[in-house]
Amino acid sequence: MTGEMILTRNFARSDAHTLRAYLETGGYRAWAKAQAMEPTAILEEVKRSNLRGLGGAGFPTGTKWSFIPKSHAGPVYLVINADEGEPGTFKDRYLLERDPHALIEGMLIAARAIRSATAFVYVRGEYVEPWRRFSSAVQEAYAAQYLGHGFDIVVHRGAGAYICGEETGLISSLEGKKGWPKLKPPFPAIKGAFGAPTIVNNVETICHVPHIVNRGAAWFAALGTKTQGGTRMYSVSGRVARPGVYEAPVSITLRQLIYERAGGVTGNGRLKAVVPGGSSAAILTADEIDVTMDVDGLKNAGTMAGSAGVIVMDETVSIPEALMVVARFYAHESCGQCTPCRESTGWIYKITHRIVEGRGRKEDLDTILDVAKRGAGTTICAFYDGAVGPYISYIEKFRGEFEAMVLK
Amino acid sequence: MPRLTVNGKQIEVPAGTNLIEAARHAGVEVPHYCYHPSLSIAGQCRLCMVDIEKAPRPTIACNTVAADGMVVLTETDRVRETRKSIMEFHLINHPLDCPVCDQAGECWLQIYYMQHGLYDPRMTDEKVHKPKAVPLGPHVILDAERCILCSRCVRFCDEITGTGELGIFERGDHSEIGLFPGTELDNKYSGNVVDICPVGALTDRDFRFQVRVWYLETAKSVCAGCARGCNIEVHVNRRRPHHAEGRRVARLKPRVNADVNQWWICDAGRYGFGFVDDNDRLLAPTRREGGTSSDATWDEAIGAVAAALRRLSPDEVGVIASPRMANEDLFALRRLLDICAVRRVGAQVPPRVPGDEDHILIRADKNPNSLGAELMGLGGDARPVLDAARARQLKCLWIFGHDLMASRWPEAEVLEALRAVETIVFTGTNANRTSERAHWVLPAAAWVERDGTYTNFEGRVQRFRQAVEPLGQALAEWEMLDRVLAALGEAPSATRAEHWFRRLATVVPAFAGLSYQALGDTGRLVAGSVAARAPR
Amino acid sequence: MSEGDGYPGLTDPATTVFSEAQLAEVRRLQSLYPDPRGALLPVLYMAQETFGWISLPLEEYVATLFGLSPAHVHEVVTFYTLYFREPPGRHVVSVCHNLSCHLAGAPGIIAHLRQRLGVDPGETSEDGRVTLLSVECLCACEAAPMMQVDDRYELNLTPTKVDRILEGLA
Repeated sequence: MTGEMILTRNFARSDAHTLRAYLETGGYRAWAKAQAMEPTAILEEVKRSNLRGLGGAGFPTGTKWSFIPKSHAGPVYLVINADEGEPGTFKDRYLLERDPHALIEGMLIAARAIRSATAFVYVRGEYVEPWRRFSSAVQEAYAAQYLGHGFDIVVHRGAGAYICGEETGLISSLEGKKGWPKLKPPFPAIKGAFGAPTIVNNVETICHVPHIVNRGAAWFAALGTKTQGGTRMYSVSGRVARPGVYEAPVSITLRQLIYERAGGVTGNGRLKAVVPGGSSAAILTADEIDVTMDVDGLKNAGTMAGSAGVIVMDETVSIPEALMVVARFYAHESCGQCTPCRESTGWIYKITHRIVEGRGRKEDLDTILDVAKRGAGTTICAFYDGAVGPYISYIEKFRGEFEAMVLK
Repeated sequence: MPRLTVNGKQIEVPAGTNLIEAARHAGVEVPHYCYHPSLSIAGQCRLCMVDIEKAPRPTIACNTVAADGMVVLTETDRVRETRKSIMEFHLINHPLDCPVCDQAGECWLQIYYMQHGLYDPRMTDEKVHKPKAVPLGPHVILDAERCILCSRCVRFCDEITGTGELGIFERGDHSEIGLFPGTELDNKYSGNVVDICPVGALTDRDFRFQVRVWYLETAKSVCAGCARGCNIEVHVNRRRPHHAEGRRVARLKPRVNADVNQWWICDAGRYGFGFVDDNDRLLAPTRREGGTSSDATWDEAIGAVAAALRRLSPDEVGVIASPRMANEDLFALRRLLDICAVRRVGAQVPPRVPGDEDHILIRADKNPNSLGAELMGLGGDARPVLDAARARQLKCLWIFGHDLMASRWPEAEVLEALRAVETIVFTGTNANRTSERAHWVLPAAAWVERDGTYTNFEGRVQRFRQAVEPLGQALAEWEMLDRVLAALGEAPSATRAEHWFRRLATVVPAFAGLSYQALGDTGRLVAGSVAARAPR
Repeated sequence: MSEGDGYPGLTDPATTVFSEAQLAEVRRLQSLYPDPRGALLPVLYMAQETFGWISLPLEEYVATLFGLSPAHVHEVVTFYTLYFREPPGRHVVSVCHNLSCHLAGAPGIIAHLRQRLGVDPGETSEDGRVTLLSVECLCACEAAPMMQVDDRYELNLTPTKVDRILEGLA
């Protein structure tokens, strides 16, 4: 199952990031078409396409757009989340570097649908080259008059904080503050960036939009499953023969992705565990990989599609050590705003560190599980629930391995 | 006006009310740390979780607006479990050093742990260490390890004073509140951050380690520091007098009055009580003759004043009353002056340094009762009285409270006046350069040592209540005036300040209909006041 | 510092402020946002690129450009990892230590760098050439282990490759 390359079709061209190459491969035709469409028609088309957010939450994109109050008279902002940071994910880096005009065209169309005249693209600070590539493309688009006529793009660099990938943390950061997520309600579509209705979409999500406009919602929906249309870009890393970005219909299974696309498992060759959707997704064991990689398929498997960052571990990998690495990440990236996350991410990292160092105690495992379960769902944003995914699943699914360490 | 039920009780609340306030309407307390009614909603502490019917899980009450038909439950099993968990999170990195913490006894970590926590601690790893005992400014000291990062202090400085001194720096469990390095928390309201700090992170440098809070007794009072009349509590240490070198007044705390000071008081008012237990308090009536002072009895002192009033013609008597006197004192004085037909009277003495003022609470007029004095007909300029003394027209000058030597009047002119008068009577709480020159000194009780009322600049009459006994033989002004009146043949009428208030309410039109009971804890406006005509 | 040639860290940025051209750039950046404060992160980058790092006096200076209290600028500077609060070396080497890189041998790469540079992560080599950092996911997991050297991503690291990269750093 390879299927058609849509988002990645031009990646092989060394000049894929230029306007010339983009135009040669049919670029900005969707925008021409969309300009003849009513905003609501675009919105409906995207709704029917079953496009779902590809940054992590998997929310239906058209539905999100429809939350902008119809009667709103003031400015509406489109914000692109290019703050890629979910461990195991690197797809947006490819899009920014290799097909920046696809994002610009998608933004033009999305902005028309939500009646936005200004967009901000929030690129993570470490992505210097992607930021330069994308900024050049924006300049080209201004020179070619795609931008500047009722629609402007401001490229904004983050400064190093995973939490700014959370849409309201991103908005706070865009406003020149710490990246503290905001209380909801109000939701960004009602009161977002600078107090105005705001739609925050992931890079890859928006890159799909020109294709939906060009080829129709039905075509896009048919590529995927009943509840999610299209393809998406899977970032595959860890112990596989060919780590990389793989575009596939969302109906691909995890097994296919690992064995048919990424060349199978390395290390000792025997699969032990897979993180299917970035580090915040619950881990799957070797016998749980016959699952489709769409939002609902993975949800039904007790994990999540998240950002589609697939991290593969062979049998030689120590799961407690992996959990310690992941726990260190969440402790480092917790923004500190609300108590359960701030206090327990650090605590859990200390416990996992102690376990890995051989100073674990039997009760540690149940403490982590209990603390994680008690904290889940109590915080301002989804960050902590993301941390809870690995805390619980690593221990519950590999308890024997942990116990062997704490009882040593 | 949405109608909802809280724990089965049906209530109706104004639109926009959040569930913490709505629950209060129903008599239900939702535990919380970061929420404060006058500050923006932060939603950080996560303690105020409640169950809302049909919601998948508990939600924070502070950020949920009451809606029609909402069914709110604050004591379900899962809410209790959630609270317990949140308490544990709050205390993971807390040093649990209650025995050496000044907040002990009024700490909301202690209170809520007992009410909602009661879990067995299981945090055995090294806690995060942060700065301790850091003076933030003249009044406030920080222990960052005890801080639960509720951000109330930060929001106070952003939203109330607009000074923005505080921030939360770093992130994760290394987040800590603090100042921009090299700066101070030195705004005019800095002490309020101690009040709103729910834990022992911000404590009061003045009060710290003076006395354990459970030994304190409390009286409802009004700040006497300016014409605003902020509502306060006076906290008194009577039960451990050996602490704090006999300092009886331990601290002043703001008391909520939505119409006057909301939740706040300024630092000048908060820390302005030092004179009460100062060494220069006047403790007994004294007589000065030929450069030597000697103690006298109250009977002698009252007798001497009464004799002077009897003996002298009204024009030979001058009185400089004070807008720091209570309404009751002023009315008693008014009565005495009427009986004696004394007309040379004023109350306003210009301060040497004009008072500061802002748009929050602080008034340029540093007297608590200027409007009361005015309504009593005693509020006039005292300069003509001084000039009469300088012109040797006065034989007796009675000065209430003022240190004329520290006023804007030229010192030479004040000295000239004081030297020109045969009998100078000084009534006040503390010795000053004016009392030193008086022939009779009548010690007055400080405002925390007595009952009374002040009328603030807006016309709000507010009670202050006795918190401690008068020091030495000091008496409230109305008491000594009552005795003078008795010595002049008036039937003694008052044994309590309230009696004088009752009489003034029947005589002074602005006070018509007011009584101590009607004033309650938050006061009432006098008739015809600007504030009464234009409700805010 | 992010440029390859690096900027010297200033010892006393208090005396140093933006040029007229830079102030014009500040105003341009501020005009891009509905609230000028939106330009705070970009202007802090400008400050860092100009002076090498963000000292407290520089924070105070930037605060004046935005009408903010210095505490609020300090909150921002201390929240993000890419603002340097002390002078970094001429080059900054940030090794990813997150999961995919960990699985691919990041601990060995970090150990190698520690040994070669004689510093722990968070420290700067004695010759002032390199600041070594151990950082969270840089999202180049397909080429793990990897690190960022100033602006560049260096991928598929081996000790030999690390040595070669270090040799190229002046």
